Amino acid sequence: METLAAGTARRDASPVPSDKGLAKAAEDAVVLRVSDVHKAFGDLKVLNGISFDLRRGDVMSVIGASGSGKSTLLRCINQLDPPTAGEIYLNGVPFGFRVDASGKRTPDSLSNINRLRQDVGMVFQQFNLWPHMSVLRNITEAPVRVRKMAKAEARELAEQLLAKVNLLDKRDEYPARLSGGQQQRVAIARALAMNPKVMMFDEATSSLDPELTGEVLDVMRGLGEEGMTMLVVTHEMGFAREASNRVMFIHEGRVEEDGPPEQVFDNPKSERCRAFLSKSYR
Amino acid sequence: MDVWRSIILKNLNLFAEGLWVTTQICVIAFCVACALGLGACLVRLYVRPLRLPATIYIEFCRNTPIYVQLLWVNYVWPDLFGWPQSFFAAGWMALALQSSGYLAETFRAGIEGVDRGHLQAAHSLGMSPFLTFRSIILPQALLNMAPSIMNQFLVLVKSSTLVSVIAVPDLMYQAMRLTAIWFQPIEILSFTAFLYILIVFCLSHAFKLYADRLRGRYGLAMA
Repeated sequence: METLAAGTARRDASPVPSDKGLAKAAEDAVVLRVSDVHKAFGDLKVLNGISFDLRRGDVMSVIGASGSGKSTLLRCINQLDPPTAGEIYLNGVPFGFRVDASGKRTPDSLSNINRLRQDVGMVFQQFNLWPHMSVLRNITEAPVRVRKMAKAEARELAEQLLAKVNLLDKRDEYPARLSGGQQQRVAIARALAMNPKVMMFDEATSSLDPELTGEVLDVMRGLGEEGMTMLVVTHEMGFAREASNRVMFIHEGRVEEDGPPEQVFDNPKSERCRAFLSKSYR
Repeated sequence: MDVWRSIILKNLNLFAEGLWVTTQICVIAFCVACALGLGACLVRLYVRPLRLPATIYIEFCRNTPIYVQLLWVNYVWPDLFGWPQSFFAAGWMALALQSSGYLAETFRAGIEGVDRGHLQAAHSLGMSPFLTFRSIILPQALLNMAPSIMNQFLVLVKSSTLVSVIAVPDLMYQAMRLTAIWFQPIEILSFTAFLYILIVFCLSHAFKLYADRLRGRYGLAMA
């Protein structure tokens, strides 16, 4: 109950602040700033100017039809597909670009990008666990090799995280022997092992059988209640409504709605959002 | 039976010597071929300006008959480069050259076959390209390509019989020599063929067993 209460308190605190002091505090708490991000693949424009701020502890669900650009947005944020235009800041630090003395912007070096990527956890629709490594090794590989954590320490951390996702007994298994839901929970533990500032979920439950989505959503819900800042691309409207404090609806690469779930679900301003929701709720 | 006793059994030491030379030449050639093949494949995949030379090298190795390569390395290289100075070195070098071309393509298929999602997962955790290659790509490529790589080794064992023409005293060379001395080709060559069958058959089954066990350990489908 305690975590739940903390979760509620956090959610109450996040609406737009009214006076200047609060505004400053809110500014400090911005973990991820996405500013007018565009992405085109050749002639195909996928993102057409997306902007939003993610504050510490925010759980934002991103909803929208297939092809609306939700997944591309996540991939732009951690530079797997660098944006064509626009800016991304992680804790105020430019992510993917750098500004030289004359004010000219250039793409950042890969090593700098990699340093920032360590702070952004990503969970993929297809889990993407490495099949040749045990569950434990999947989790410890990046902390040991990238963060240079001692092996014993990484192992301990991995075991803690596995306990958290209820998979401690599978630590020596290989991914191919796990169910989809179990694999996805390992993938979440793997991302958490880097102690990220933001966790991004790219349709984390879309390739799971219905009876397995629950266990993954429960883990995600728990993370949100602990105060993890999360950006969740999802088709799970129940999760978006109940577990997030903000919902963003994207249509054709633009933000059509961005607000608390009650507003977006019960009283959407955008006609397209209303149409989308009526289809999604059948 | 007389021939069997008087020639084969009496000369078993020669067969054994030949077998030892065959073993050495195959192992050295294969190790060199793996190194050259991996190098050529990596250059072709990742070093854009050198892609063309790497491709030419690979195609040259694959499209020249092993016999020609053997004679070329043995007779032309010493004049051009001052190396190799022994038949033995020429033998393994030519075999390595040929195999490296095939292995380069095998490695490439293995590397390109690694699920892109696995790479993106590595990148998203901040892994460098080198680390991603070493930890994620190479092990998976080797695992997936193990049957092809092992098959290439067996091809090499069989091709190695050709080094006898440049007087490397391998198993085939000893067989030819005994045949020339005793003029009993039926027994001698049949026994030699039997030895090769035995070697290749045993190796291929041992490899397959090993590869399947490895894949089984990871819970992957059998190759």
